[in-house]
Amino acid sequence: MTTNQEFPDPAAGPVDVSRVCTASDAPWDERNDLLADAIRLSAEKPAEAEAQVRRLIEQGININARAGTERTALELAAYYETPANIRSMLTCASREGRAQASTPSAPPVAVPAATERVLDIEFRGSAREYFRIWAVNLCLTLLTLGIFSAWAKVRKKRYFYSRTTFDNTPFQYLGQPLPILKGRIIAVLLFLVWYLSSHFFVALMPVVIGVAAVLAPWVLVRSAAFNARYSAFRNMTFGFNASYRDAILTLYAWGLIPLILIGGFIAWKWQQPMLLGIALAVFAFYVPFWLARIKRFLVGRTLFGGTAGKLSITGGNYYFIYFKAGLIVSGLSILAGIAVFAITKTASNLAAGEEIAMLALLPFYLVYVFAYAYSQAQTGNLVWNNTQLGPVRFQSVLTGRGLAWLYITNGLAVLLSLGLLIPWAVVRSFRYRAQRLRGLLQGEWGTFRGSETSTVHAAGAEVGEIFDLDFSL
Amino acid sequence: MTTQSSLDGIYYDGRQPVGVKATLNISGMGVTMTGQVAAQHYRLADLHVSPRIAQADRFINLPDGGQVQCPDSTLLDILPQETSEGLIAWLEAKVVVAVLGIGTIITAMLAGYFYGLPLAAEHVAARVPVETERAIGEQGLAWLEEHKWLQPTTVSENVQTDIRQDFDTLRQGLAQESHYRLEFRNAPVLGANALALPGGTIVVTDALVNLAGSRDELAAVLAHEIGHIEKRHTLRLMLQNSAVVLVVATVIGDAATLGVAGVPAVLAQAKYSREFESEADEFAFALLKQRGISPENFAEIMLRMAQQDQKSKSKQPPGFLSSHPLTQDRIERAREAARKVDSQGAGSELP
Repeated sequence: MTTNQEFPDPAAGPVDVSRVCTASDAPWDERNDLLADAIRLSAEKPAEAEAQVRRLIEQGININARAGTERTALELAAYYETPANIRSMLTCASREGRAQASTPSAPPVAVPAATERVLDIEFRGSAREYFRIWAVNLCLTLLTLGIFSAWAKVRKKRYFYSRTTFDNTPFQYLGQPLPILKGRIIAVLLFLVWYLSSHFFVALMPVVIGVAAVLAPWVLVRSAAFNARYSAFRNMTFGFNASYRDAILTLYAWGLIPLILIGGFIAWKWQQPMLLGIALAVFAFYVPFWLARIKRFLVGRTLFGGTAGKLSITGGNYYFIYFKAGLIVSGLSILAGIAVFAITKTASNLAAGEEIAMLALLPFYLVYVFAYAYSQAQTGNLVWNNTQLGPVRFQSVLTGRGLAWLYITNGLAVLLSLGLLIPWAVVRSFRYRAQRLRGLLQGEWGTFRGSETSTVHAAGAEVGEIFDLDFSL
Repeated sequence: MTTQSSLDGIYYDGRQPVGVKATLNISGMGVTMTGQVAAQHYRLADLHVSPRIAQADRFINLPDGGQVQCPDSTLLDILPQETSEGLIAWLEAKVVVAVLGIGTIITAMLAGYFYGLPLAAEHVAARVPVETERAIGEQGLAWLEEHKWLQPTTVSENVQTDIRQDFDTLRQGLAQESHYRLEFRNAPVLGANALALPGGTIVVTDALVNLAGSRDELAAVLAHEIGHIEKRHTLRLMLQNSAVVLVVATVIGDAATLGVAGVPAVLAQAKYSREFESEADEFAFALLKQRGISPENFAEIMLRMAQQDQKSKSKQPPGFLSSHPLTQDRIERAREAARKVDSQGAGSELP
């Protein structure tokens, strides 16, 4: 739950991951043992303990010097240059028992247990590389009136997969453009039907909504299956094992209650504020549980090496996050409202109202960005920190503040560069997320077992099935 | 192809996600794999290599289901390729191509925005009958009435008949002649105003009837609204705006989470609305001239509306955000059109 546990400090700028990695080649367990030794020694033989820590720092170990703040070797070297600093760190660590080696795991964000190995997630690409890919593919997409967009999507996904390493191995994207093109054509046709019926043939609207409700579970399953099937890691593809029926149950089992409420609201145009209030309250209460259900479904049906994922979250977890996000919005909105009121009052005195009134919306926009960043960070952490895939679990330490800063600076850069910095912004966001996520392996990779059908070779052979469709953006 | 070459990589058997070091030795038409695996021999033609992307590692699929991951190398170009993305990869590798691509994107977007899109929308709109828009117009009218924006008129029957007569004169011989309908409504919220609804219905508010100094002034406003319908502005605006949204979404796509996608779309769309207002004005001036009414009447009623706005102290938004061209410009153009009538005489072609 705490947000102060971070791998690198974002304020200190990007950490040079490659330097830390090359230095920390010593096995994780061994380094932890050395650190534990140092802490034991610190009581009676401070000089030896200090030398031990110096050696570890030289090797580039990541040490949790104090509760929760993990620092990289480079930062530590600067921090603990003096013997006095190292000694105080050791006393602190031994007193609190907080060094990595001796810390028991405390979910959801836990430091690794002694027997766990850290699996780093790294993004090894650059904005320069992605800029060229983006420019070429966007250009071809516009010139072909959108048809090339399916190829462009493949190139983009291929790039981000190939440049993202998990435990030093890149992912592989196997999706082919034609199923994506098929999916897009169908999506465009469905959109046209919806657009035309909403504007021109209003009587058809209920039929269109009904068809959409029937199609939604199918689209969900097809897209998840496509993405899983055509994502590979170490010559093993992922899988998604769910039927249309499962998806219907997930989406609609409890969904009937809010659907009836909302449907009733639209169909009978309830005028009484009381009834409307009850309907909205039930809906607001229900949405977090619904989202949790869908997430559990998506993670729980994803397979890798014969193992299904497991996501242990409840709607209550989501509810808490949205509740806090709601508090942030209302709290900050009041502040923004006061500020806007003060500004417009001065402005109208100066008789220059109109243009400043436009600017008055800015504080509210910032409030929205911050609340959005907060809920994104918290729900991201919630899902990753409670996901287990066989012997692998994850640690995510996104912060609302970090994401808000990213959104705002990215937004400004994109606007001021008239869009030319879009690839830079995308790469930057991706890298930030990768830096704040890592896996922890308890046991062996060998626990995952591939089969004849899960090799990349097999996935490549079956491309072109009739229902091989991708609807995701 | 006689020189022997080798690739160092990591071999994954596909049964466990555990890699071992392996070397592929390519000689002639064959490949031998050695390393921490039992030596294997494959035909070159049976291997498949994943497409090049940036300088990322590539994956070589072996016929027995194994895979070798290795750093990119020109040597991989002689192996059979998994897909035909080679040309795109080649384009992506060149900085010059990226710069040219950006140039092309900008040119294509500007050309599409200023010429291509309006032209295409005009052609499509000309092929879609006005009847299809009627549903939108009726919905709009019903909504406005339901929410009491439009109430029953208080304009006397005599005045209505006069105005209808002028309206019939105006629409006579126009392409959409049979689709026009004139409605009078009392609309305190809208003030002195006229609306052209999709499908051919034109609504005139009581306040406008009262504001007009003469029948000709009112006819000038009606001619403007007829211009909107005759020129199919609703449909064209819908087509153009959806295309703008689509293009903006494609370009921004990646950065959609930044929450700035709406800004350029809204800015781009405001320009189209303004252009349609000017187009309707131009149409109105020509129609009025043809029917022997001076466009000066348009200037007059615009002045009256502006004066009334001034009284109610509602200001104009800054020009670049406004969907109506600034009133002063419109008045001046109406006067210019009126001067031209005096010099050329009536009966000019409709634009």
